Amino acid sequence: MKNLNIINLTKGETFLHQLSGTTKVRLFATLMLYVMMSFDLPIILPLFIFSIIGIISLKPSWKVIKPLVIFVVAINILNVVLYWLANPLCGLEYTGDQTILFAYTDYLVVTKGTLWFLTIRLLKMLTAFSTSLAFIMSITPSELAAGLTSLGFPYKLGSIVEIAFRYIPDISRDYENIAVSMQCRGLELDAKKTKPIERLKQMILILIPLIVTSFDRVGNISNAMDLRGFGKGKKRSYYSEYPERKNDKIFKLIYCLITIFCAYYIISGIITPRDPKMWLYWR
Amino acid sequence: MKKESIGKILLGKWDTRTIVGVAIGIALFAVLMVYGSITVFTNTNLSLAMIVPVIVGGLFGPLPAALACGVGNVLADLIGGWGFWFDWSIGNAVLGFIVGSLKLYGANIDEGVFDVKHIIIYAVTVVVGSIFAFGIITPIFTKIIFGGELKISIAQGWVASVSNIIVLLVAGIPILKALAARNARGRDLTKE
Repeated sequence: MKNLNIINLTKGETFLHQLSGTTKVRLFATLMLYVMMSFDLPIILPLFIFSIIGIISLKPSWKVIKPLVIFVVAINILNVVLYWLANPLCGLEYTGDQTILFAYTDYLVVTKGTLWFLTIRLLKMLTAFSTSLAFIMSITPSELAAGLTSLGFPYKLGSIVEIAFRYIPDISRDYENIAVSMQCRGLELDAKKTKPIERLKQMILILIPLIVTSFDRVGNISNAMDLRGFGKGKKRSYYSEYPERKNDKIFKLIYCLITIFCAYYIISGIITPRDPKMWLYWR
Repeated sequence: MKKESIGKILLGKWDTRTIVGVAIGIALFAVLMVYGSITVFTNTNLSLAMIVPVIVGGLFGPLPAALACGVGNVLADLIGGWGFWFDWSIGNAVLGFIVGSLKLYGANIDEGVFDVKHIIIYAVTVVVGSIFAFGIITPIFTKIIFGGELKISIAQGWVASVSNIIVLLVAGIPILKALAARNARGRDLTKE
């Protein structure tokens, strides 16, 4: 994963790009709640399909997306395997099923319940990823700040996230430059050739210049902001915000409905606990 | 040099410089979380990102450090694509608060004050803070947010604590010393 260029600084042309920042942030917040609240396939799968459609509709550059997707899928599969190794019966609590499909040793068994649980868990992680990918690709830093303020956060927090979002590509570029020039001087960073502790020590040599250059920026940026009168008023308006358009109203209805559904699902789950805790295809 | 009250040091001064500093800290945290990490266990990395809150804490105070750490973790989750783990973000924020309290015990990176005494106190806060944040706080929030899965979370917590302690001690002390030495100009003059 060598590219963090998925963050765009100017507004794009497509349908999702054209929504206002408030709509995007609120929609994303409700969708994250929607994904996290359950392990049910009928709830997660539609969002997965819609988010993939959303990503395609954003017309991304596939060259940037492809390594990212491969990396994330690989990491998540590795995670699922490690999860299974840590506790081969982890699905029991959710599915209540102990049918053994394969058994390597007494400890390492694959049960039907665990297999189903881990499959859904993987799908859930991938759904969270595809939704947040669509969100990142469609939003600009300024819209993000406007959206966060609309959720009721103080605008200084919005500004913090905005500046952070704006400087991630810059800092990752600096990181690459420093790493390459350190390698020119004979620093071995290959994971296969050096031990983790040795690598850690070598990373320090990259970190010191990176930290110094990054924090040297602080003076410049804060002076520029002070000169423009940042932080003088109690409120702040955003250049990227405008009155709701037709599309924003449609999405407002959608995220309101999703919020009501989530509230219903969570509260009903608290009042009458579901048994088993997730949707099973064999029932 | 004016002595500031403890409450003021804890909260930090929220002027433009602090806001930008925290923002840059978050960006740095997210980048290091994505690049400079070596996977150890599920959701757990030997990640160099944990250095960032220490430096933000040294420059701006504990609460900015906690914010940089917590929000940085959320942003890293957003970019890295391993899903959202708010329990870990909260644990990280607590750890950021504890290890970022450099100013409380007199170390001042801005003016180059970082001696053997401060190194020892720093090491103690790192060990206590890691165990407290990932051994206690994170499992509690895992229980509240996700319910269940506690066994794995505690195991992850211990691995995370150990790897964070290693990173914060092996990488943190040399970096803090280097930064303090860099800022130490004129220190002898003010001490007289």
